[in-house]
Amino acid sequence: MRSIRHHLALILPLFAILFCIEYLLVFDRITESYENRLKENYSLILVADRSVKLSDISHCDTLIEKTEPIDAENVLRRIKAGLNHESVEKIRSIMPLFISIKLRRYAGIERIERLKSELMSIAGVRDVHIFEKVHDRLYAMLLFMKISFTVFSMLIGAISLLLLMKQMTIWQFEHKERMQIMSLFGAPVWLRSGVLFRLAIVDALLALIFVVSALLYLVNDSSVRELLSAIGIEPEIILRLDDAAVLAGVSFAIATFSATWVVLRFKEEQ
Amino acid sequence: MRNVIEANALKLAYPRHEPVIKSATFEVNTGEFVFITGASGSGKSTLLKSMYGSMPLFGGELHVGGMDMGSISGSKLYKLRRHIGIIFQDYKLIKEWSVEKNVMLPLIIAGFPKDVCRAQAQKLLTHVKLSHKSDKYPLELSGGEQQRVAMARALAHNPFLILADEPTGNLDDYSSQVVWDLMERANEELETTILVVTHHIPEMFSAQYRHLMIENGVIYEIH
Repeated sequence: MRSIRHHLALILPLFAILFCIEYLLVFDRITESYENRLKENYSLILVADRSVKLSDISHCDTLIEKTEPIDAENVLRRIKAGLNHESVEKIRSIMPLFISIKLRRYAGIERIERLKSELMSIAGVRDVHIFEKVHDRLYAMLLFMKISFTVFSMLIGAISLLLLMKQMTIWQFEHKERMQIMSLFGAPVWLRSGVLFRLAIVDALLALIFVVSALLYLVNDSSVRELLSAIGIEPEIILRLDDAAVLAGVSFAIATFSATWVVLRFKEEQ
Repeated sequence: MRNVIEANALKLAYPRHEPVIKSATFEVNTGEFVFITGASGSGKSTLLKSMYGSMPLFGGELHVGGMDMGSISGSKLYKLRRHIGIIFQDYKLIKEWSVEKNVMLPLIIAGFPKDVCRAQAQKLLTHVKLSHKSDKYPLELSGGEQQRVAMARALAHNPFLILADEPTGNLDDYSSQVVWDLMERANEELETTILVVTHHIPEMFSAQYRHLMIENGVIYEIH
C-alpha cells in the first residue's frame, strides 16, 4: 500500500503535466487547422485602374502570398441581362480591374487595416475590400480559446511541478539514511542512487503509459469521434507518434531531473 | 610493521566550536587490537569519524591505510572506505533491506557476483548465530541481533581495518560476547587491525591489548 502511494505521488503530477502538454499540442494543431481554413476562405479584393502583380504589392506586408486577377467577364455576365450591347461595351471600357489577394494566414483586423492603407497608397489602386467582420470574429474567438487553454494548462502544469517538488523533498528524506550508510561503506554515486533512478524511470514509464492509454481511449471513443467530426476535426489529431515521443522525452527528463536533484542535494552528515 | 593509522598533532573541531581533540599523536600498526577510552563527550567518536573521512581535520596530520586524510579526494576516500569495516553504536543497518542483503552491502559495493555475496553473507551470519534470520528485516531484530548483523557486515569484505564505535554499548551479555569473539578471531586469524572506542574495556581484554585514553582533548598511551 505504501509502495503504491510512493509511486502515485510521482505518477499523478507527471500524468497531469504530460496531459497538459498533449492538450497544448492538440489545441495548437486545431487552431492551426482553423487558421488555415480561415485563410483559404479569405481574400482581399483590390480594385485598380491598372494591372497589379505580386511584385508591385509584396513590399506592403509579408502576409501577402499571391494575387489572382478576377475575370471581369464573370461580373459582366451577371449585370448584362437587360442591357444592350453598346451599354455593356461602355461598362466594359470603364470597368476597373479586380484582383484577389490571398494571404499566408489570417492575422487580425488591425494588421489587415494597416495592409489596406498600404495598398491604397499604391498608384492606380482605387479601393480595397477587406470583408473583415465574420472572419475577424472567428479569429478573435480562436485566439481567446488558445490563450485560455494555454493559461489553464500552464496553471495545472505549475501546480503539478509544485507537487513534484514536494515529492522530491520527501524522497530526499526517505532515501537519505540508505544513501548515508552506503556512502560510509564507499558506494559510488551511481550505486547509492540506483534505487532512486529506478523508481523515477519506472514512474515516468507508468505515467507515459497512462497518458497514452487515456488518449487512445479518447481517439477511439465514438462520442468523442462524433463530436470532433462535427467540428471538422480528424480524431487522429489527438495523438500522433511524434507527440508520444515528445511526451516520453518530457516524462523521462522530469523524472531523471527529480532523481538527480535529490542525489545532488545529498550531503554526508558529520 | 606498517602503520595502518598514523596521527600527528591531530586537531579536530566542529564548526564554530572549540577543538574536541586538541592534540592526538599515535600510531596503530597492522594486526594490532587497540582500545581508545574516554569519558562521554571526550571526542572518541569524533576521532573515529576522522578515520573514515566523516570529520574534516582542523589541524595536524592523519594517515589511514597510507592515505592523507587531510587532503584525500572524494573518489580516493570512497576507495579507502571499501577496505574498512565500520561498526556504529546505532548499527546503521538499511531498514528496507533484509538482514542478508545488509551483510552483503560491502561485497555489492566491491562488485562481487550475487552468489558470492550471498554465500559470504550466509557464512558470516552463521558466525554471528543469525543464519536463521537472514530473511528478516532489521526492525524485526533486537538491538543485540542488529549489532551482530552490523558486525557480520563489517567483516564481510575482509577489511584491513575495523573501526568500532561503542560496539557493545547497548548489548546484552550474549550479543557482546559474540561481537568480541568475532573481533578477536578476525584479529588473530586474518591479522585485521581493530580500533575500538569505548568508555569501558571488557575485563577479559583489559590487560591483553593496547589502551589509549582521551582526556581534555589530548590522547595518552596507557599501556
